[in-house]
Amino acid sequence: MNTFQEKTNLTRRQFLRGSGVLAATAILGGILAKFGFNVQARSQEYIAQRANGLYSLDERMTLRKSHENPEILQIYKEFLSPGGVTPLSEKAHHLLHTKYGDEIPELIAELKQHSHQAA
Amino acid sequence: MSQVKGKVLKHAGQTRLMHWIHLICFVILGITGLGFYFKIITIDYIFGGIGNASVVHRWLGVVFTVGPLLYILTNFGRFSRFIDTISTFTKDDFKWLKTMGGYIPGLKGEVPPQDKYNAGQKLLGWLVIICCFLFFVTGFPMWLWRHAMPPQLLGLCYDIHFWDAVIAILAVAGHFFLAAIHPKSRVEFASMMTNGYVEAAVSAHHNEKWFATLQNDSELKA
Repeated sequence: MNTFQEKTNLTRRQFLRGSGVLAATAILGGILAKFGFNVQARSQEYIAQRANGLYSLDERMTLRKSHENPEILQIYKEFLSPGGVTPLSEKAHHLLHTKYGDEIPELIAELKQHSHQAA
Repeated sequence: MSQVKGKVLKHAGQTRLMHWIHLICFVILGITGLGFYFKIITIDYIFGGIGNASVVHRWLGVVFTVGPLLYILTNFGRFSRFIDTISTFTKDDFKWLKTMGGYIPGLKGEVPPQDKYNAGQKLLGWLVIICCFLFFVTGFPMWLWRHAMPPQLLGLCYDIHFWDAVIAILAVAGHFFLAAIHPKSRVEFASMMTNGYVEAAVSAHHNEKWFATLQNDSELKA
């Protein structure tokens, strides 16, 4: 069978055009990658500084644990779980737990019902 | 049609392999990507849930990037000849675009001789290069730097990635129609999808300028 195929030599023009596209892509990609790495480095630096700030603020607080806060303990003893401190009491569950996602329309309906009843 | 007998090796084995890898990746990336964007949960279920579909999308994105890169580095001559061909636009290419190569009914006129790739394929070549570049420069930040990027920039990446995909899918759909379905052009289907060969008479007719530069095996043996 008579078969034909391309010449495999590479002319100077072909070489320059191929190299040019490859180089342009690499340079443009490199610049964008450098920008991305810089953004990430700045972001990490900000997160570290913010975390340090929060920890140092926390260390200066008199009360550092919510379950040891006397006002919270009093609210539980007198209202949320009378007679003791029960964080998962039914009243605490209803009043302190929020709803999210698909439950939001149900929450809005419930709040509207409460406001009608209060009126 | 030319009466020349024989066959032309249009696409070498590694080119066909790269084309197959890119094709399979593109189809799966397109399907999973559309599933994410339009929240088509059925598509996610095909891949075992949205988490798995996301993993498939990201890692096929890596193959989609590394595949052509390896091809370029190991076939620099072929890549350079390809770039040289698609970046050469002559009067014949503009004339071809005026008649759209005779593929569109209603656009009549003489179809001028073409290179290895006709003017439409040259434009598609550039479109694919630009689209792939945009996929890379928006896709990887959306994966690796999503927690570090400003939300506006991340949103811009999502928008560019999506519209880039829309353009690429439409372009590839047109490419598929002409390569596999249109009776005038599907004669070259096997040259990229199976053995790499196309009838010499077809090549002499569709790619007259390129065919004139080929050497046959008797010249090679001499």
